[in-house]
Amino acid sequence: MPNELTKANINLYAVLRNMEELCELDRTMYDLIQNRNLSIQFSATNGPKALLSFKSGKCHFTRGTGKNNIKLYFKSPKHFNQLIEGTANPIPLKGFTKLSFLTKDFTKLTEKLTYYLTPTDERLKDPSYLKINTILTAYTAFYALGEIGNTDAIGKLNASRIPDGIINISVLNGGPSIHIIASKGHLEIKKGLASSPRASMTFADMETTNLVLNGKIDTYTCIASEKIKMKGYIPMLDNMNKLLSQVPAFL
Amino acid sequence: MKPYTYENNQQHFKRALKFIPTGIYGHLGPTEGCYIPISAYPFFCDKAKGSYFWDVDGNRFIDYMCAYGPNVLGYNDEDVDAAAMKQLELGNCVSTPSTIMIDFAELLVDTVEMADWAFFAKNGTDVTGFALMVAKAATGRKKTILVKGGYHGVAPWTQKLGYAGIVEEDVTNNLYVDFNNYEQVENLVKEHPDEIACFMATPYHHPVFEDSQLPEKDYWNKIRKLCTDHGIVLAIDDVRCGFRLDHKGSDHYFGFKADLMCFCKALGNGYNFSALCGIDALRDAAASIMYTGSYWMSAMPFAAGITCINKLQKLNGAKLMQNIGEKLTTGLVDIAKDNGFNLKISGISSMWYMRITNDDSLMLHQEWISECVRRGVFFTGHHNLFINCSLTDEDINLTHEIADASFKVLKTNHPELF
Repeated sequence: MPNELTKANINLYAVLRNMEELCELDRTMYDLIQNRNLSIQFSATNGPKALLSFKSGKCHFTRGTGKNNIKLYFKSPKHFNQLIEGTANPIPLKGFTKLSFLTKDFTKLTEKLTYYLTPTDERLKDPSYLKINTILTAYTAFYALGEIGNTDAIGKLNASRIPDGIINISVLNGGPSIHIIASKGHLEIKKGLASSPRASMTFADMETTNLVLNGKIDTYTCIASEKIKMKGYIPMLDNMNKLLSQVPAFL
Repeated sequence: MKPYTYENNQQHFKRALKFIPTGIYGHLGPTEGCYIPISAYPFFCDKAKGSYFWDVDGNRFIDYMCAYGPNVLGYNDEDVDAAAMKQLELGNCVSTPSTIMIDFAELLVDTVEMADWAFFAKNGTDVTGFALMVAKAATGRKKTILVKGGYHGVAPWTQKLGYAGIVEEDVTNNLYVDFNNYEQVENLVKEHPDEIACFMATPYHHPVFEDSQLPEKDYWNKIRKLCTDHGIVLAIDDVRCGFRLDHKGSDHYFGFKADLMCFCKALGNGYNFSALCGIDALRDAAASIMYTGSYWMSAMPFAAGITCINKLQKLNGAKLMQNIGEKLTTGLVDIAKDNGFNLKISGISSMWYMRITNDDSLMLHQEWISECVRRGVFFTGHHNLFINCSLTDEDINLTHEIADASFKVLKTNHPELF
């Protein structure tokens, strides 16, 4: 049974965080936020906190708290998870005059995010959908593994076995890249590649990445055929992959 | 030297993936982290002889993995094979065991210094698991002290919580210490009075991805005394080291006496069986346990094993392999140095571990190893390597030549280092 804290962290720090990319990659959503200038604070008691800001045509996601126009409070991580599942509402503490943004524009944003994160065979035939689905799914998976490693009981065991250092993960030919900083069992996920990784995992292209992330191809086939290349201090990747395999249980 | 290519290997692997999970599973598989980059390695063997195997593309390799240990005399040793074939004609897997099982048990007890009895199974996991059961049966206790990073097979108790297929109850009675840290063992014994059945470790520490560690002076004698004083069974996993350090047992090599010794890899030069040897005090405990397998008493491997052990003794195989290993590794270190790299060797030279220390990511090491493999020297990146008795000076010289050529490729690829 996935624990509520890890699930809430993933929902906020890995899933909702994708608003940044969504507003860059999808033209309609890009247009939707062009004239918006406000920040939404999400705060769950004993759970995740993050600020989602819309300014100058861009969306910016920040962990923690900050200056905001709308403040949404959640009694617990479970309460936040219920919001994501559509079975509960947040408690608005601030920004009552701007709640129409939440009920209209923000709802459109979350619906579009859901659309991109729930692929079907039909949707994946569209190259632009495949690209966005791949990018958002990849970010979700890799940010989620960090949350699992930092808060889930089994995840913490696996994270503690990752030797200190940096893991680079990249998708060639236009895909996303991130790096994971492992330090004494704590994981930090950052966008982009680090200059001195201790290990790296490279996906050959978007198509391969999409098939892997959507569970449609055997990872071992990809490794053996070098569609996924690993190098460096392999125990880092070995234990990271154990965290990655835990991700589906939380989504 | 034109680097090898592997078209047929790749074709076979694609076929294997359709019908076998991961194509080639376990440590021999290309996805286990020791083959980097994957494209440098052969996946399937066509034939083997002596120190060499040939892959399905016809490439020949001097094999320093030795089937991950079993090849101790040389592949297809004619004497061992002849003995095995002779027994096969007489009978192999039959409803009652052949008396050749007794012959082998006698030979093992006469050979291994600590052994008063022997029990046979099929692989290392069988006998490490049985050793634990014997210790628990003898002591009535449930906990085991293991060394972090140690490898004792693939049964659930040997793995870790968080690994696929492992639940808490599988590992709840395991306690872990660092190798060579006597105080940690002593503290655990104090913290768990009358609860520890067994201390199990390899005679020297040879994990993957890390330098091997030899036991510090008095380490084993102190552990031996602690186990004796507290009624703990001292079990040594000699599955990998067995017969490459000392045919009398690796405990004998390091100057102590174990209560249980697990043997496998080099026992029969590739014929499949394993053995647990024990002291008299544990004979009844071993006898009390129901433990067996469908073909654990098949006769052919015993015939192979008798010839293998006798031949190893005649050759003074352990010493011979250490001498060959010394010659090989000394040369490799010198060649590395001549090319501007630092190659660190650890462990015993008949079963050594090596790594280029110029970076901590092991990327340079992986690159060098892969260039060696592409030119016909089969190393893997991060596992200990093995010597067998059939290696010649010509093989060593060729290995050095290929190692040098591979270091030169590395130099060319990394001008920033020079």
